[in-house]
Amino acid sequence: MALPHMAAAFNLAYWLVKNRTDADDVVQDAFVRAYRAFGGFEGEDIRPWLLAIVRNVALRWLHDRKRAGNVISFDEALSQRSLEAPGVVQVASDEPSAEAALIAEGERRRVHRALAELAPIYREVVVLREIEQLSYREIALVTGVPMGTVMSRLARGRDDLRAILIRQKAKDEPDAV
Amino acid sequence: MRCELERERLSAYLDRELAREDYRDVAAHVGSCPRCAAVLADLREVGRLVVASGREPPPKELRGRITSALASAGERSRSGTWPMRRTRVLAQAAALLIACGLTALVTASLLVRTDRETLIARDSVAAHVRSLLQGSPTQVASSDSHTVKPWFTGRLEFSPPVRDFAAEGFPLEGARLDYIGERRVAALVYRRRLHVITVFLWPAQGEGEDTARTFRHNGYNVLAWSKAGLAYRAVSDLNAEELRQLTALL
Repeated sequence: MALPHMAAAFNLAYWLVKNRTDADDVVQDAFVRAYRAFGGFEGEDIRPWLLAIVRNVALRWLHDRKRAGNVISFDEALSQRSLEAPGVVQVASDEPSAEAALIAEGERRRVHRALAELAPIYREVVVLREIEQLSYREIALVTGVPMGTVMSRLARGRDDLRAILIRQKAKDEPDAV
Repeated sequence: MRCELERERLSAYLDRELAREDYRDVAAHVGSCPRCAAVLADLREVGRLVVASGREPPPKELRGRITSALASAGERSRSGTWPMRRTRVLAQAAALLIACGLTALVTASLLVRTDRETLIARDSVAAHVRSLLQGSPTQVASSDSHTVKPWFTGRLEFSPPVRDFAAEGFPLEGARLDYIGERRVAALVYRRRLHVITVFLWPAQGEGEDTARTFRHNGYNVLAWSKAGLAYRAVSDLNAEELRQLTALL
């Protein structure tokens, strides 16, 4: 079966629950729900709806996890794990030098950590806009807030992310400051 | 950065989500304001970094897991089809049965009601005629409602409204007690020229406002209606048209 938006769904789920195992379950659940609702996943216009379902399932998941009382340990575990087990190296296909690959990977981890640190309401809009390239209208649809709110959250999210990145850089490379 | 709005507009400008004029304004402003140009460059760099970091790659097994989750979900809904259909048939049968039952009940209650309605109409005519056979149709003879109304106190468990309609051509003659439909009722006696009219009234049980119904029994007209929690029966040898005028007054 063709699952065209699976990568986008997983990425959003991951950035909401911040845990690969939970994101995996969230996406499975969301696809089953979406399939019941739409009877398929074809077409570009289904993507925001699918992501909205992913988001709802993820939020319920987070709510249940919070009730179980282990939100902090999970959160910490995930940032450790994602640092230890990096995913694909984005520049690998260009056959870059080992040094360039290392720098790129270092940067990727840095951004990853900064995104993880960003407040959830800003993180989701930044992910939907920058990584998934959704329009404001589509983001409004996925997150269920007005477009004006999308706009202000995105501005704030980018600003906060920039501040986090600067702070990280200062901490990682104290000599450079 | 001067204010929130400026930052928002720059961010939206970057995403090309501004209206045409707004977009032109911001573009012109950024061209002449190094401060805003620097902020915009920062925003662009943050965006570039996030895009470069890419998606969190899904586990290789996820596709297979979703496919089998979908398959088992489909299996469940398919296996649920036949019992679902049977349940629906049963539900329809039950609905049909209930509908039949309800129809029967309504018909029966209508029959009973009609029966009772006729009975009361007959009772009313009988009581009216009997009152005329006696010396006087009234126990309290007065056209003064302030005499008649208090007379009922202690004789009935309710206080009937009593009014004289002499001005409208229905002078009040007086009142008495009577017995209709196996209960004690108030009887008000009015006169229209030489015709005597008896209005029986008692507290209506479960009857709301009602449009008047007309019966004819042995040459007498009976008008039945209810109003403000009271059931009324007006009986007379007067024509139904004029009798209705009185019912409109009461």
